[in-house]
Amino acid sequence: MTEPAAAGIHPQSAAMSAPIAPTKIKVRDLHFYYNGFHALKGINMDIPEKKVTAIIGPSGCGKSTLLRIFNRIYAIYPKLEAKGEIVLDGENILDSGYSMNRLRSKVGMVFQKPVPFPMTIFENVAYGIRHHEKLSRADMDIRVEQALRSAALWDEVKDKLKQSALGLSGGQQQRLCIARGIALKPEVLLLDEPTSALDPIATGRIEQLVEELKSQYTIVIVTHNMQQAARCSDLTAFMYLGELIEFDRTEQIFTKPSKKQTEDYITGRFG
Amino acid sequence: MAANSFIYTRRRITNIVALALSMVATLIGLVFLAWILWETLRQGIGALDLKLFTKITAYGEDGGLLNAMVGSLIVNLIGIAIATPIGVLAGTWLAEYASGTKLGESIRFLNDILLSAPSIVLGLFVYTIVVLPTTALTDGSTTFSGWAGGVALALIALPVIVRTSDEMLRLVPSTLREAALSLGIPQWKLTMQILIRAARSGIITGVLLALARISGETAPLLFTAFGNNYLTFNPSDKMSSLPQVIYQYANDPGDGMHAIAWAGAFVVTMFVLLLSLASRLVLSRNKVSHD
Amino acid sequence: MQANVGAVASTLAQEARAHRDARHDRLFGWLLKGCALLVLACLLGAAGATLWGGRHAFGTFGWHFLVSSTWDPSSDTYGALVPVYGTIVTSLIALLIAVPVSFGIALYLSEVAPPWLRTPVSSAIELLAGIPSIIYGMWGLFIFAPFFADHIKPWLTNYLGDKPDDGKLSWVAAHVPFVGKLFGSDYPFGASILTAGIVLAVMIIPFISSVMREVFQTVPSRLKESAYALGSSTWEVSWDIVLPYTRSAVIGGIFLGLGRALGETMAVTFVLGNAMQLSASILDPGASIASTIANQFSEAAGLQKSTLMALAFLLFVVTFFVLLIARWMLRQLAHKEGR
Repeated sequence: MTEPAAAGIHPQSAAMSAPIAPTKIKVRDLHFYYNGFHALKGINMDIPEKKVTAIIGPSGCGKSTLLRIFNRIYAIYPKLEAKGEIVLDGENILDSGYSMNRLRSKVGMVFQKPVPFPMTIFENVAYGIRHHEKLSRADMDIRVEQALRSAALWDEVKDKLKQSALGLSGGQQQRLCIARGIALKPEVLLLDEPTSALDPIATGRIEQLVEELKSQYTIVIVTHNMQQAARCSDLTAFMYLGELIEFDRTEQIFTKPSKKQTEDYITGRFG
Repeated sequence: MAANSFIYTRRRITNIVALALSMVATLIGLVFLAWILWETLRQGIGALDLKLFTKITAYGEDGGLLNAMVGSLIVNLIGIAIATPIGVLAGTWLAEYASGTKLGESIRFLNDILLSAPSIVLGLFVYTIVVLPTTALTDGSTTFSGWAGGVALALIALPVIVRTSDEMLRLVPSTLREAALSLGIPQWKLTMQILIRAARSGIITGVLLALARISGETAPLLFTAFGNNYLTFNPSDKMSSLPQVIYQYANDPGDGMHAIAWAGAFVVTMFVLLLSLASRLVLSRNKVSHD
Repeated sequence: MQANVGAVASTLAQEARAHRDARHDRLFGWLLKGCALLVLACLLGAAGATLWGGRHAFGTFGWHFLVSSTWDPSSDTYGALVPVYGTIVTSLIALLIAVPVSFGIALYLSEVAPPWLRTPVSSAIELLAGIPSIIYGMWGLFIFAPFFADHIKPWLTNYLGDKPDDGKLSWVAAHVPFVGKLFGSDYPFGASILTAGIVLAVMIIPFISSVMREVFQTVPSRLKESAYALGSSTWEVSWDIVLPYTRSAVIGGIFLGLGRALGETMAVTFVLGNAMQLSASILDPGASIASTIANQFSEAAGLQKSTLMALAFLLFVVTFFVLLIARWMLRQLAHKEGR
């Protein structure tokens, strides 16, 4: 299924030892501008299905920007522009005809800081589902429970589903946000530095959760924490100044990076 | 050397005098506050009487303020009921849809002007667009009404609510918008069900402040609700209100009338101060729960 | 890629939902925009309604309307000069008193007062802004005006005025031009242009001082610290650094107060005396636009009513521009901060 990596078009993926899974998201010559600033400069990468892909790089390198194009959340702000192709299941999501609704039910996102809605815990999960599907009460209860279970939160909240989500701890809130995302049964899950606001224990639980979720979802995680990338991803992309420097299997990147910049960053010489 | 120390002394004295004067200025402000509140309390409590709450103004010196209180309540509620939905939606437009656009910026700017526009002119505006057209439908009797008074007060409450809603919604973190939109929730649902809920306490504060503001308004009611010496619950009638009765009684030569006016002033002041206190409480309570 | 029937159906449902959402979003946007445009409609409507209501007066009296001090219902002749003069002079007096006092309060609260005192004192001053204007009117009429007549006015007329009670013209009245006229009055009551100006000053002090205090706090502390480091005193830092830095916003705050003062009705109506005559003395009663409308509109008809509408139009236009300048000046500082 994967296209043969043609060196001329996407040199980064040419470096990849061998494809490890069919491609889910195919990025071709992606450029991004905000207020005229050229933030992403010709990104090419193939993100494999049902694997964890980590994107690392110093702050300002464009890693979050790239992630925010995958579900076009950037489009809610004026003066932002993406050029190029992002092919998800054979369709270019940057086409103006591609329905935002469909894209966002297919691609879920979890943000840096947990953002529970000002509602009960149950409603937080049910709210998104209700917009996309008509379910009976009983079905809804099952769906919510499933989502909370998948997010490893069920046991902690099953007795207080009717309480406000704002009363949960930071780590619980973040897992609630993950539950809310996977309740829509997306195919891709985008995680934008999901643990940067959490303590080490909560971080550990989220990482464990990522490990569990990858059997069902294609996960792309942006992180500033290299150990995290090393611990829980299958592939790692290193970005610097809006360019994709290197994209390869995680152990390859962390043990034998092929680019000098990657090595410098990983060994802590800058960033 | 001598000149230097002279300059130094002069600078020091200037400083001391200026700072002392700033203290005097503050004292002046506080003295006036205390004076006004003290007199309102003293005269008002002295004139408090059960008949204020049971009798109507038709009895003059032997009467009370029942009809005025009922009228105030009804007219204020009409005003708030009109201004709240419009104001919240307009504020939402400013915060969520129009930030950065020219039209949005101008309306935000003009709203601030409306906020301090002379209320008596707004009263005349409502007189022109509500009282005059309905009068034309009758045999010539002027159709002052509680509705007209409510509309006039709504115009005064509107900019307050617009402004607080706008400000409070702009404080809602944009991550909440992103989180909802990334679930495929449409903008209108996001706005009505999440953002307004997140900014709820701030918006309630705005509504309470607006209510406090219109509770003491007199000028716009003179030519709209007009006044009524009898008790009525029907907003299609002329309606009296506390400030309007205070205005009328204070201009009356009788001392008994003045006493009732003071009692009314006391009631209005307490109501307004309690409202602004309540609005602060709502805001501070919510701030704590958010952190 | 599976293309089974279920997937197609769900895709179709999704597209339908997307269309419906887009339509609802559009309608919702229009609804919101409509509400926001009502703000605009209020301002235009108020100006339009009063202009339309005042068309007879403008048509009958023309430009002469603005300079005529006649106010004679019996011959149906009206000029705007008396109320316009009263409005402007009471507001100017209010500013003359309120600006230095507000500056003092802002200075005290931001630089002088011990920190524990700042919040209670500033809340107290803000409380002044919460008191309804009718209460100011009551207090002005029953408490302050008599006090003024008993204690302040005799002193002013005797030491500054040209019609002293005791018959002895003071040195000031005899030697300084205009002052005698300004404070000369044989009107025995407390209601006067000066009284109204003082009551207005008390009303607008909280507005001006809170704007000043707010903008003083926007001055970067490095600016103040570097001045202190050069040995400047608190007063010098405030006068030479803080005030110039915040100048436009301070002027904005003053204009905001002026806008309030010009349009204030109730507080003024009670203590102005409502005399439709022009007097050089600020101790004589007068009238303002708002007080004239409040007093006469209910009983007015025909040309008199139209005249009152015309006055309201003038008041509205003038306050609009004063407030426009105020907001514009205040925004200058907001922009500076944003940068």
